[in-house]
Amino acid sequence: MTQGVSLAPAQHGRVGQAAAVRAHALAAAIRFLLRIASTPTGAIGLGLLTLHLLLVLLGPSLAPYEPTALNLRHTLEAPSAAFPMGTDNSGRDVLSRVMAGARSIVLLSIASTALAMVLGILLGLVAGYLGGWKDEVVMRGMDVLMSFPALLLAMLVLTMLGPANANVILATALVFTPRVARVVRSVVLELRTREFVDAARLRGESTVFIWLREILPNASAVILVETGIRLSYAILLIASLGFLGLGVQPPTPDWGLMVSEGRQYIYQAWWMVFFPSIAIGSLVIAVSLLTDRLEQVLNAQRSFEGS
Amino acid sequence: MLRFLMRRLALLVITLWLTSVCIFAVTAVLPGDVATMILGQSATPQDLATLRRQMGLDQPLLVQYLRWFGGVLQGDLGHSLRTGGCGVQFCTEGVRVSTLLVQRSTNSALLAAAALLIGVPISVGLGVLAAVRRDTWIDRLVAVFTLAWISMPEFVTGVLLIIVFSTWLRLLPALSIANPNASVLDSLHLLILPALTLALVMLAHTARMTRASMIEELRSNYVRTALLKGLPRRTVIFKHALRNALVPTATVIAMNIGWLMGGLIVVETVFAYPGLGQLVTFAISSRDVPLLQGVALLIAAVYSLSNLAADLIYTYLNPKIRYV
Repeated sequence: MTQGVSLAPAQHGRVGQAAAVRAHALAAAIRFLLRIASTPTGAIGLGLLTLHLLLVLLGPSLAPYEPTALNLRHTLEAPSAAFPMGTDNSGRDVLSRVMAGARSIVLLSIASTALAMVLGILLGLVAGYLGGWKDEVVMRGMDVLMSFPALLLAMLVLTMLGPANANVILATALVFTPRVARVVRSVVLELRTREFVDAARLRGESTVFIWLREILPNASAVILVETGIRLSYAILLIASLGFLGLGVQPPTPDWGLMVSEGRQYIYQAWWMVFFPSIAIGSLVIAVSLLTDRLEQVLNAQRSFEGS
Repeated sequence: MLRFLMRRLALLVITLWLTSVCIFAVTAVLPGDVATMILGQSATPQDLATLRRQMGLDQPLLVQYLRWFGGVLQGDLGHSLRTGGCGVQFCTEGVRVSTLLVQRSTNSALLAAAALLIGVPISVGLGVLAAVRRDTWIDRLVAVFTLAWISMPEFVTGVLLIIVFSTWLRLLPALSIANPNASVLDSLHLLILPALTLALVMLAHTARMTRASMIEELRSNYVRTALLKGLPRRTVIFKHALRNALVPTATVIAMNIGWLMGGLIVVETVFAYPGLGQLVTFAISSRDVPLLQGVALLIAAVYSLSNLAADLIYTYLNPKIRYV
């Protein structure tokens, strides 16, 4: 491939340019990550999240035992050298199940957050930018969805649709869409009255162009922070659904489900619930720490650009 | 102010009515036949048809909804499907849903009250402490502590408390009740762990809010004036700054009551505490449709009302907001 040598000064043309742009973007991304990691909280958050993402990628293959393999000779064994986190009531290795369980909760929460963000941004734009009766209809609809506690709404939807991974994503996205829409709407209401939006409108730009090119780029900081907040709530919600038996179904290893299975053995085998609990907590802590730090960095950038 | 209040209340009524439509729609399409559930698999088709006609299940959905909603308006939520028993010849009717709701909400209210009683004073105290000792190790300790509890789902907090207080220290029971119909008032020690779980999660939010608004107040001119004219620091903190800082905190506490309604579902399930939340999981797992409809509607109503209360407190206490 020519890309390997494209950074050489003699190389010109399209391929070289594209590679240069890519290298520039990569450098910017690395600078941004370094900036995030430049405080203790940011570094801890980034480190913890990287660990969890590694588990998502490699957890099942690195696990010392098969996560679903029964071993009735070693049931409810306390943590030891052979089983660092002990075994459960079916003799399954808790460490292997914790390692393999990262995949379901992380992927489900990322997917549902992404869906909620897309739907929420769209509805927020419609309500905030178009206004009038469209605003009323959208926001009253959102009010109805928000008149349920998040968990109850998700439980009702999952009871109706049945417990399947796609339905968990749908239910969680449905819960968070109105909350995203509210935030986006309030930003759009503020941006709508700015001169550059008026200018674009007078130039005769289409509504979709104004949304994509004028409004969303200026709302990106708020949207990024909102994504982080929603992601941490999505993890909490999906873990709770798993615990209530409405999420991932056995025997697939899932942290919430593991806690609920271990609940009845809590007197004999505290390790069955302790380690998956710590796994869930550390994942949410990582996301919250990163979101806090992201907000700091973005606010600093904005006030720097504004001055 | 009155117009604002009326508008908000009217919106709330409309929202709650739409909520009832949603709840009915969701429960109406649930898989599983109610008549078969009551009479059992061995019932004859004729018996099933008769029961369906008696219960009005052969009517169109709209008629069924209107009958149900008419009942709701009169306080009649129907009978639970699962709490009655069926003999060979006849069925005893299930307990009235409204009776169950009254009984369980008393227990839940007790739990929520205990959680607020533990949570609010500690969280305000921690928030003030962190604000006054800003950027010291005390502040950081409070920040780490609150972050940890915000980041735990309620069931994780619950089981961790059980491990410490029941499995390791053997101080408190891991299950909060043996008899689902007994009153919790007889045995207050069963309340401690579930209330502590709810309080810990709530505490984190409220402490963070108190700290933020307290720092804001401490920076203000009137606090500086009070300090410069020689008032003791303690008086300025508690008499002047805290009073104003409690405005946003009051909103957070009112919002927390709404949040408690969701938290109750998980916490009551963890501790097998006989409240509304546990009734939800029971109704869902046993497909008890009338019970699910009633309890979901009640929880949604309380949740919306407390969110409205939070809004109103905030608007009332903050003169900068216009009533629109």
